[in-house]
Amino acid sequence: MDNPAAATRFPIPALCRGDRELLDGWINGVRTGSLRICLTLIIVGLALYGATVGLWRGWEMAAYVAIKLPAAILLTLLVNGLLNGMLGLVLGSGIGFRQSLQFLLAGFAIMALILGALSPVTFFLALNTPPADHADARDWHALTLLTHTLAIAIAGILSHRKLLGFLREFALSRLAGVQTFFAWLAGNLFVGAQITWILRPFFGTPGLEVQFLRPHPLEGNFYDTVLNAALHLLGF
Amino acid sequence: MTTDPPNIPGIPPNQPETSGFEAMEGGTTLSNVLHRLLKKPLSLIHHFEHGEQRNSLTGKLVLIAAICLLVFGLVVGSFSAGTQLWAAPLKIVGGLLFSALICLPSLYIFTCLGGLNAKFRTVAGLLCCMIALAALLLVGFAPVVWLFSASSNSIGFMGFLLTALWLLCVGFGLTLVRRAGKALGMKGSGHLVIWCAVFLLVTLQMPTTLRPIIGKSDRILNLGEKRFFLQYWGEQLTTPHRPIRTAEEDLD
Repeated sequence: MDNPAAATRFPIPALCRGDRELLDGWINGVRTGSLRICLTLIIVGLALYGATVGLWRGWEMAAYVAIKLPAAILLTLLVNGLLNGMLGLVLGSGIGFRQSLQFLLAGFAIMALILGALSPVTFFLALNTPPADHADARDWHALTLLTHTLAIAIAGILSHRKLLGFLREFALSRLAGVQTFFAWLAGNLFVGAQITWILRPFFGTPGLEVQFLRPHPLEGNFYDTVLNAALHLLGF
Repeated sequence: MTTDPPNIPGIPPNQPETSGFEAMEGGTTLSNVLHRLLKKPLSLIHHFEHGEQRNSLTGKLVLIAAICLLVFGLVVGSFSAGTQLWAAPLKIVGGLLFSALICLPSLYIFTCLGGLNAKFRTVAGLLCCMIALAALLLVGFAPVVWLFSASSNSIGFMGFLLTALWLLCVGFGLTLVRRAGKALGMKGSGHLVIWCAVFLLVTLQMPTTLRPIIGKSDRILNLGEKRFFLQYWGEQLTTPHRPIRTAEEDLD
């Protein structure tokens, strides 16, 4: 890295590049402030993006999603924190509890940076989307849903590719790094899906009320719903 | 001609499966045993074979397993709450320790059949390590189970989730048994595969024997009504359960 002091003050470019020196400092606890930096990036980036997700249903919904999107990521990390640390150790990567949290925060910070950077585009999209009481509102809702799913998928893939690269380098062996990465990914996807399901609505289906949480958010689960929907489609 | 050892989950490549089979430094304190269990579990087996204070190590491993299973059982019991808050932890701890106890003689015989020349106490220690590691990993999954127990009302889904998590955690334990067998000089692993199948069968049947663990019932135990676990699961899955919400709310 050309200027370590600059990376400490403004770590975004170094983080996006996957700068080895910056990450070494964070993972080994030499460079302080990593938790503050990553949390700030996650909260700000995802709040900005989240606001544009809910904006087509009005400013109230935008504010709700701006709170819920970063909350979903942080709750997923909280629920899986212990497990991720254990998996890092038993899979032989040599990555412990604090380091696993640091890795995942760095990965999600990159994802938040990508989504935050895309938020002006999605803001423009929201401004051009007809209101929920429009005749074609359902079509626009579907389009909004698909656009955001695509944006989140792209950000997720890019950030996780970076995370995989970090893990390969830092783990005791490349294979252990890859195994740890996929174990974390599976755990985070599994829990993340349920947490976002509890925190719904995010997109705000036309015809349904704008709310922070749906009534009885803890009734039912994501996988049960998917299974029931599949059975319904198959005629069972 | 030499060939590289196959890559096995939990073992870094380019290292023999038996790496870490070395003297345990730091004594048998609870924190050191926990640390070793996650990072270098084969050093615990080495201690059982060659070290001192083996009874202390066995006690620590059983304690770790019991505490972890109690915590996990409490989270499982929170699904139905009421009497299950104390019944489920006790059933899970008792059921798993009983399963381990009845499978210990067969583990010893099958490892001997595989060519292992180890003391019985080493094999018993190996089983303790396996159970403690699986229990420790289950505690790691406890927040995940709590999340679903708080938000799901489907017994079928919870049963499936808990079974999948158990198979995942015990998979790490069984990998440890195989690695330890190799480290102790076992020639083939075919006999261990049979034992692993037997152990899994026992631990899958045990929750059905001790049912209900996740559901509610008037009786704490239902020992009079004998069922095979596959038959019981089939009955549970065919019980109708429909969501309360509309499809629109689900795609929100």
